[in-house]
Amino acid sequence: MDALQYWILGFSVATLPLNLLYAFIGCVLGTLIGVLPGLGPAAGTAILIPVTFGLDPIGGIIMLAAIYYGAMYGGTITSVLVNVPGEAASVITCLDGYQMAKKGRAGPALGIAAIGSFIGGTFATIALMVVSLPLATFALRFGPPEVFALLVVGLSLVTGLSGRSMLAALVMTFFGLMLCMIGMDPVRGAPRFTFGIPPLYDGIGFIPVVMGLFGVGEILLSMEAPVLEVIKTKITDLLPKREEWRVSTGAIGRGTIIGFFLGLIPGIGAIIPTFLAYVVEKKVSKHPEKFGTGVIEGVASPETANNSYANGAMVPLLTLGIPGSPTLAVLMGAFIIHGLTPGPFLFKERPDVVWGLIASLYLGNVMLLILNLPLVGFWAKLLEIRYEFLYPGILLFCILGAYSLNQSVFDVGVMIAFGVLGYIFRKLDWPLAPTVLALILGPMMERALRTSLEMSAGDLSILVTRPISAVLLIVAAVVLLSPAVRLLGKRAGKEDGG
Amino acid sequence: MKRRIIFSLIAGLIMALAVSIHAADYPTKPIILMVAYAAGGETDIGARILAAIAEKELGQPIVVVNKGGAGGQVGWTDLAKQKPDGYTIGFVNPPALNSIILDPERKATFSLDHFVPIINQVVDPVCFYVKPESPYETFKDLLEDAKKRPGKITVTTTGIFSNEHLGILMLQDAAKIKFRIVHFDGSAQINTALIGGQIDVGVDNVGGAWASRVKAGQVRPLLVMDRERTKFYPNVPTTIEQGYPTVLMSSSRGIVGPKGIPEPIIKKLQAVFQKAMEDPQHMEKMDKAALAVKIMVGEKYGKYIKDLHETTKKLIEIARKAD
Repeated sequence: MDALQYWILGFSVATLPLNLLYAFIGCVLGTLIGVLPGLGPAAGTAILIPVTFGLDPIGGIIMLAAIYYGAMYGGTITSVLVNVPGEAASVITCLDGYQMAKKGRAGPALGIAAIGSFIGGTFATIALMVVSLPLATFALRFGPPEVFALLVVGLSLVTGLSGRSMLAALVMTFFGLMLCMIGMDPVRGAPRFTFGIPPLYDGIGFIPVVMGLFGVGEILLSMEAPVLEVIKTKITDLLPKREEWRVSTGAIGRGTIIGFFLGLIPGIGAIIPTFLAYVVEKKVSKHPEKFGTGVIEGVASPETANNSYANGAMVPLLTLGIPGSPTLAVLMGAFIIHGLTPGPFLFKERPDVVWGLIASLYLGNVMLLILNLPLVGFWAKLLEIRYEFLYPGILLFCILGAYSLNQSVFDVGVMIAFGVLGYIFRKLDWPLAPTVLALILGPMMERALRTSLEMSAGDLSILVTRPISAVLLIVAAVVLLSPAVRLLGKRAGKEDGG
Repeated sequence: MKRRIIFSLIAGLIMALAVSIHAADYPTKPIILMVAYAAGGETDIGARILAAIAEKELGQPIVVVNKGGAGGQVGWTDLAKQKPDGYTIGFVNPPALNSIILDPERKATFSLDHFVPIINQVVDPVCFYVKPESPYETFKDLLEDAKKRPGKITVTTTGIFSNEHLGILMLQDAAKIKFRIVHFDGSAQINTALIGGQIDVGVDNVGGAWASRVKAGQVRPLLVMDRERTKFYPNVPTTIEQGYPTVLMSSSRGIVGPKGIPEPIIKKLQAVFQKAMEDPQHMEKMDKAALAVKIMVGEKYGKYIKDLHETTKKLIEIARKAD
């Protein structure tokens, strides 16, 4: 089959009425998760995984993916209207978005964000379609040593780019790696650090940890925060003025490119692309001094970049089976729960799943545009729900979700424990993304390393004598040692939930 | 004191009565069929096909519950502890089950005595696969090369002391050869490594995704470790044909219950599942998944597991000595 046939196959799967419905439900839930403070896409997808158990794999994955990029849209609404990002990738949108809202231009700010997200998401999906097949073929050259090296790159990027302190990020990465040591040795099968507790034989569950760190932890923190004040403004004219259009076009274009390419690199996370897009926009602008006072490019570019990133980041997940951010790691968990292993062979063996998902990304972007533009007022209303009602509801969902994964009370305990830890780490301003990624990448890394050594009969040089692996390990070393990368990380600063 | 004894006697009587009434009406509620692997795997596929047919016969829903992890150990630890009332039974996968019990490093909390055999569903032999362009045209080619280059040819397993690993150990012992054994997670990873040229020979089972890969010409089977040729690859020779009559290894999937289930309930379950497995619909669906059905009931299945236990014990001893 050539590329065109795959596209047709994808669209024929994605346009099945039931799959359209799943994508739609996902978009609505995603927007909701994005809008509600206290729930980011990582926690949101994790909580909703059990909901997809009863669906067929394609439907379930389409729905979860829709939640993922839907949340990217929804996060913008709170950034603009309350100056609180609904999810981490919308942090930078607060700068100019909230200022625009104060000036009574909330409509165009949300409008351009939705349009920019649509354009960015659409172009990134098309680019994903174009590069996936050749990349999946290339990915076959990735044996265990190359996979190991790539995972090291991913982990060093997430360490180098997360948060203000490299030391704190390193601590969090190693904390995650240590957590992976609990459970069955992945090769030898011997229990490690299980203290004879049977539920620990299978290790610390990744999804309860994400629910705890990102869901429960965030709720605990939000309870301290004062009640949000929503800017009371009539959102009437969503379409920007002609002058605003003119400056936004370039911003959207640049945001698309930045988002997509950064999405290809595992470990970047959803925040860096938005910051980079904002910085670039300020650099090319004729009036950089006005940034932060409510200029529309300051909303258009990062909002475009985060949706373009969301789709671009599907590339390493689908072609190599390597998730680049906590949310994608949850999505990968969903593939595995449904009996599918992301990687080059998924393209060959289940083209219906891969291309159906990709096509649904495209359709989902259209749905989100329709959902967002006319319904912005409705979503904004949701922000007025009192926390006393909202948070117990979310907590209940977290507990139900954690329990239903394995019908295990132990998992609920894990989630609560990590909720408390997540609260403490946030208070300390220690980044959570490195822990979560280390937890999911760690077992893959250990496997890849040990398989490599089995292949070479114990000779470590296999990691540096193979060209792809050697180059990747050098990249990882540069990332960890380079101050430039760390500077960018400092700018990104806050937590990465994407 | 006396009253207490009388009381407990009566209580015991009532309970005994309750169990027997229970057995006569069994089942009065849905029964749980545990699978110690994730949904979508080969065991799970077989279990769901069977459950859908058998529940019509049973008159109560059969709910397939996946409790994966640690190569089956998590689920089987749980299964061994279930109440023996016939409402929780599960799939086990000898010899993976035997290996976990026999390998001291696994620290298993259950043994064969914790389970009562009900019925076997599938026996899926070990199979050797190569890339289409591999220099090994036949199994003989591979064998000759292995003799020339001991410890150099890489072969795969789906885990330590998995059925593939045991099969390779058997063959090494019988043919006096040595492979370089690389353990992978499962079939998808083995396939990627094989096609990507990372390893020389992919060793896995006949069934599941491999059959469609063979049909698509992506891989070539060289050898099946069984007495008879498999109907899925009628052109591929068996170990017996190749002169190794003792090198026989398969992965099997069958249903057991926690020890202590009343005999009438066992009989009922056996009758229900046997009828379901003989159903043409079951056969057809299993054929499509390239899973070879082999029905073994009760004692016969028990003996199969016990024999496999002895074989596995010997092989693990050999392997641990070699380490």
